[in-house]
Amino acid sequence: MTDVAGAGAFTVEVDQNSYLPAGASRVDAVVTVTAADAAAAPAPASEVLEVIVVDCSTSMTGSKIRAARQATMAAIAELRDGVSFAVVAGNHVAQQLFPPVGTVVANAGTRTTATRMVERLQADGGTGIGAWLTHVGGLARQHPGSIKHAIVLTDGQNGESAEYFANALNGVLGTFTCDCRGVGTDWRVDELRTIATSMLGTVDIVADPADLAADFRSIMGEAMGKSVADLALRLWTPRGATVRFVKQVAPTVEDLTDRRTEAARQSGDYPLGSWGAESRDYHLAIEVPAGGVGDEMLAGRVSIVRPGPDGAEEVLGQGLVKAIWTEDTALSTRISRGVAHYTGQAELAEAIQEGLAARKAGDEATATARLGRAVALAEASGNEGTARLLGRVVEVVDAPSGTVRLRKAVADVDEMTLDTRSTRTVRVRGDG
Amino acid sequence: MSENTSAPAAAACPRCREPVDGHRFCENCGHDLWLRRGGAARAPSGPCPGCGANGTNTPNGFGVDEAGEDYCSTCGIRRDDGTEHIEADLGQVAGVSDRGLVHAHNEDAMAVGVLAAPDGQALVAAVVCDGVSTVDAPELASRAGADAALERLLHPSGPDMSKAVEEAADAVAALVDGSHGHFRNPPSCTLVAAVVDPGPEDGVSITVGWVGDSRAYWLAAPDAAEPARLLTVDHSWATEMINSGTLDAETALADRRAHAITRWLGAGGEPHPEIVTIRPAGPGLLLLCSDGLWNYYPGAEELAEVALSTLARGGPVAVARELTTIALNAGGRDNVTVVAVPVGPWDERGTP
Ligand SMILES: [Zn+2]
Ligand SMILES: [Zn+2]
Repeated sequence: MTDVAGAGAFTVEVDQNSYLPAGASRVDAVVTVTAADAAAAPAPASEVLEVIVVDCSTSMTGSKIRAARQATMAAIAELRDGVSFAVVAGNHVAQQLFPPVGTVVANAGTRTTATRMVERLQADGGTGIGAWLTHVGGLARQHPGSIKHAIVLTDGQNGESAEYFANALNGVLGTFTCDCRGVGTDWRVDELRTIATSMLGTVDIVADPADLAADFRSIMGEAMGKSVADLALRLWTPRGATVRFVKQVAPTVEDLTDRRTEAARQSGDYPLGSWGAESRDYHLAIEVPAGGVGDEMLAGRVSIVRPGPDGAEEVLGQGLVKAIWTEDTALSTRISRGVAHYTGQAELAEAIQEGLAARKAGDEATATARLGRAVALAEASGNEGTARLLGRVVEVVDAPSGTVRLRKAVADVDEMTLDTRSTRTVRVRGDG
Repeated sequence: MSENTSAPAAAACPRCREPVDGHRFCENCGHDLWLRRGGAARAPSGPCPGCGANGTNTPNGFGVDEAGEDYCSTCGIRRDDGTEHIEADLGQVAGVSDRGLVHAHNEDAMAVGVLAAPDGQALVAAVVCDGVSTVDAPELASRAGADAALERLLHPSGPDMSKAVEEAADAVAALVDGSHGHFRNPPSCTLVAAVVDPGPEDGVSITVGWVGDSRAYWLAAPDAAEPARLLTVDHSWATEMINSGTLDAETALADRRAHAITRWLGAGGEPHPEIVTIRPAGPGLLLLCSDGLWNYYPGAEELAEVALSTLARGGPVAVARELTTIALNAGGRDNVTVVAVPVGPWDERGTP
């Protein structure tokens, strides 16, 4: 049995100031969801599906296709015995490289055969990422209940029409999680970010093809550690309430607000994908009907829900978001550290993306202002990784005040790396 | 209130209606015939006060949610859990416990009881507990502690203060057994308990036991034979610093830790009580209270002035109400609990 131990398998901690001044109606909370030890053990191999999709378009010719072969072989070596897998070569269509059709169970023999097939991989044709995703979706549907994960590697821009791609992406939503890697600097950050966000995965740049194997190995290691598939965050709110937003804020910022599907009465589900030995933070903002002074209201109940067999559901953990109206300003003016911190981290990601867009559009004033703001936010929150990346795009005159100058010459790789990693957050200082 | 009381011999057990024979417990059903107790909250019922959702058969009375929490499943309003304002009036002892004006919950608790054999003088016991507000579910600790201590003080084997505090500490410690969920910071509370024994041979004796900073006062007229005074010594940081001579009063009270308690019932606490017994030389009033009252009115003389004039007009329940009201009028920043026990020939001075 793969059953994590039901309620209590996940801890749901709520960081908020539940005290509101009279008349106030907005409730903010940061919810930390962590798998308890028992729930964090990897799922049985028989319930895991891995698909590796390697871009084999003409532009991959040369060092890139060699690096892609190495990376794919490294990933194959990481597959646990018993896991179902497939390797797909992608150009304008998706071609199944191994096994010829469907999926195969990993063992020493199948890993060797797959590796041999990958060695022969050649670059030829266009780039049709929508077609790749549709193909992986077909494989995933043959493994209901499993943890389904794909790695997609590409070096270029998608050649499909925007409409075709959007339909393809829409058609596979929720069928698997997908980590995207862009190799080199000829791909588009927004394209891969759209896929990763929709498919609840990560996106990153691998500027040097030589680093690809190590990266694939680590993605696969992480994927092999997942223990539960298809979790959802269920949010109950009181009658008359409006959910302003539900955002994942750690390890990266992902807005889940529009991903809601209606669930039980006064409740909606937000997809979380699969989960391993990890912890993620979510920022919720809820507008509730204001109560009277002295009233206490349950402004939201967060449940971590896993779909069970035959439509049954299991609640794995629960946390409460409260609102208490008071005239005591000492209570109502307290600021939750988590809420303040992640409000800043979300703004940091936005400032970077807007600043880079303005820079591209030649609007130097806006670019300087937004990237300067980003420098100040990164400095204040201790987000050193992002601060370092910002330093390659702007010259920092004074970090705390966000005084910067745009650098004249910026390497594409630096700009793309900053853009790709703009959503990475750090946790509140002093927390583990 | 007037009742037609029949002769004890003809009395029937109020629970099973069988005749009783002068023993404390009903021979038929085991009901305690001598004991009256009060102070617990009464569970609310009826439709949700927030949205009018109809009652259900949940343990919480009305449409609370499936998770068993005290919130309406439709509008989210926390139901009145019955502790916002509690009054107990057993005649010889009365108490009021109030949420106050600032706190969302009443984390104080009280338990009062009278044990009266048909032909004897009543033994009165009272307990006040104040939940430590920085832990999880402090109200569980204060209710469990108050109930357990009262139970032991009115035990058939006779009142035993140190055992009562010990059993209260055990009851609070037992809250972490998992049946109340998992606590990061397990519940804890203070306790002050008193038993007033009429002592037919050597006069009335009052035994007070305490852990933490909830207080007992002896209140009497300015020229009384037994002068008004504070009977307890707070187990608080400032008091210990002052009493040990480490700091002068001004420095100690100005410290951030001044009001931190140094003994409590519950996890990580030192539950060892201090116990004093007095045999008052004249009439007066025993007052138990949480810091929600004494933070505003710490002086015994001040409290006596208000309490004794009120006692003369309305008995102990009027005293508890009046002192609670003045604490609320002074700001009500904390939960307020006040229990009053008149001692001595108070009823010969014209009060009911
Ligand atoms: Zn009976
Ligand atoms: Zn309601």
